Amino acid sequence: MRLITFFSKNSEAMIASLGQHIALVLISVGLGMVIAIPLGILLTRHKKAAPTVLALAGTVQTIPGLVMLGFALIFMGIGTLPALAVLTIYSILPILRNTYTGITEVLPSYKDAAKGIGMTKSQVLFKVELPLALPTIVSGIRISAVYIVSWATLAGMIGAGGLGDWIWTGLATYNTDYILAGAIPSAILAFAFSALIGFLQKLITPRALRRNA
Amino acid sequence: MNELMHAIAEHLSIVAVAMVFATIIGIALGVLSYWKRKLGSFIISLAEIIQTIPSLALLALLMIIFGLGDLTMGVALVLYALLPIIRNTYTSLTQLPPYIIDAARGMGMSRAQRLVKVEIPLSIPMIFGGIKVALVNSLSIAVMGVLIGSGGLGYIIYRGIQQRNMERILLGAIPVVVIALIFDWGMGKAEKRLQKHTR
Amino acid sequence: MHRKRTRITLVLTLALAAILFFTSCAKDDTITIGSKDFGENIVIAEMLSQLIEAHTPLKVNRKLNLGGTFVNFNAIKNGQIDIYPEYTGTGLTAHLKMDVVNDPEQSYSIVSEEFLKQWDIVWLEPFGFNNTYTLAVTPEVYEQYKVETYSDLIPYAGELVFGAEHEFFDRQDGFDGLVEVYGLQFKGEPMKLNASLKYQAIGRGDMDVTDAFATDGPIKQYNLKILEDDLGFFPPYHAAPIVRKEVLDKHPELKTVLNMLGGKLDDATMTDLNYLVDVEGESVENVATEFLKSMNLI
Repeated sequence: MRLITFFSKNSEAMIASLGQHIALVLISVGLGMVIAIPLGILLTRHKKAAPTVLALAGTVQTIPGLVMLGFALIFMGIGTLPALAVLTIYSILPILRNTYTGITEVLPSYKDAAKGIGMTKSQVLFKVELPLALPTIVSGIRISAVYIVSWATLAGMIGAGGLGDWIWTGLATYNTDYILAGAIPSAILAFAFSALIGFLQKLITPRALRRNA
Repeated sequence: MNELMHAIAEHLSIVAVAMVFATIIGIALGVLSYWKRKLGSFIISLAEIIQTIPSLALLALLMIIFGLGDLTMGVALVLYALLPIIRNTYTSLTQLPPYIIDAARGMGMSRAQRLVKVEIPLSIPMIFGGIKVALVNSLSIAVMGVLIGSGGLGYIIYRGIQQRNMERILLGAIPVVVIALIFDWGMGKAEKRLQKHTR
Repeated sequence: MHRKRTRITLVLTLALAAILFFTSCAKDDTITIGSKDFGENIVIAEMLSQLIEAHTPLKVNRKLNLGGTFVNFNAIKNGQIDIYPEYTGTGLTAHLKMDVVNDPEQSYSIVSEEFLKQWDIVWLEPFGFNNTYTLAVTPEVYEQYKVETYSDLIPYAGELVFGAEHEFFDRQDGFDGLVEVYGLQFKGEPMKLNASLKYQAIGRGDMDVTDAFATDGPIKQYNLKILEDDLGFFPPYHAAPIVRKEVLDKHPELKTVLNMLGGKLDDATMTDLNYLVDVEGESVENVATEFLKSMNLI
């Protein structure tokens, strides 16, 4: 089949793009975690500010990807760096929201018990709240990663590399092979991230919280 | 100004038509999932899979099948709108208190009558919530229409990107965000009102 | 109960209205015009649209900025668009996949004949300008290497980054042919970008050489140096409207109207219009209207 010949001829380039795409996702979600998790924890200590901050982050989420890329293009130009900036911004909300909800949903009885046995505030955070909130936080990371795989394909427009490049070339030249070369792997990648992180989520869910326990 | 109004009208009409189809199909599939649970979990998994596909990839794939134009965008929007609507319909129906279903059975209603007279009306708030999520998402996705020959505000935004023209990008982008926020807020309020109404 | 009923009726009426909106777009008295995704093509298509609207009772459905060459060509073959502005050189090499013909008259007659024969598409009167592919280098490169022709680039190509829009790498009159004929080997992998972004890239120094279109506005803006095609690789690219024959037969008056722009745009004029749209950021509609008015065409 013609498509298979196309794939085998271009396999090296496609694998390179796959690698770039994975890198884009890992870096932006990683940075997103570094920003969003501490921020989420902070919000649980200042609950009054939470609705505003979450609403603000939510609004950023409604900005279409094409628009954010346009901004990045104008302010930072073409290439991987502007793309990473945009992707990192997009990765924040799901993680932030889930960190906040995850921690606030920890039953007060757990926290009271911890305080009761003499834990300091930071011990409560690290030994009780975070571990219990972890499944929710990881769920947020999973949502974020799947979103970013999708948005990273758009980033091909500003020369960020990755699988999106193939889709953009395909659209520009009306070439089905190129489109499939970009679309199929990126879809599979999205599933892979979702499944992998989902599996991770199951692993780290403390037995006490598991539904089937 | 004319250009902007025209673009907004195009954008809203594509989303509106897609939402109508998505609602009808989504609720139907949600009901089907409720009546046949095994099929239901398959349907919902399928919808989840569709959601996971990167939107540009799905759009480009649909373009191969349907060609350029509004139809492709419409199909994409319907596909992405399905999960929230199906899932909310299904969840609401399955969470109905058993005594209500018993009461309806007791009154001699058939399954269809029960659905139309009791189960769906009680599910309206949640279904509405699903439609809200789908709608707000659609408004954003529809911006990509410019890439596959469909209309809408994406056209203005894309021209702005091509010309490095911030004003033009904003001219197209601000209406999208504002309209999305208005729908999110408005429908959220309506959803709350509906919840009270069905108590 | 009432509230739910009114809501349902509201949604249904909205749906009905939207459906009516869509079906009304597919009427017989509507002409669909497409265009490629760069300023020049968009502004020409806009001018053609305005001419049709001013001189006939027909409605114009604009599908401007549709995409690259192949997107438009496929669309017109499928009848999704009725008209778009094409270039003789492109028709010859990219669509007919024939060898380069350097004589403008000859290349025009070949494309006219073949397009009609193969696809029932008619070439109308050329606008007058020749928007050929050229190679452009940054002022820095020019300063450093003092290159005047494509051949001059050969010894230095290894130090220069080449970039172009996606389709340049897919066409016979594009990258592959160019580097083969001239024996050019550029540095690393060439950059592939969307058409309108390539000038931004070269302006920022992300690349050194690009395929410019001779009448592009940003050439002036970025002070790019146009090199001479000493081996005559690129064919002439005279732009003209191409139309589906079926549409012309149904609306013969279109021929006169579309030919109103024939011969009215020379290289200098087209470059000026492009400059207004691409560099000064003026709206395509205004530029088109102003020009047509100045030529007393509307």
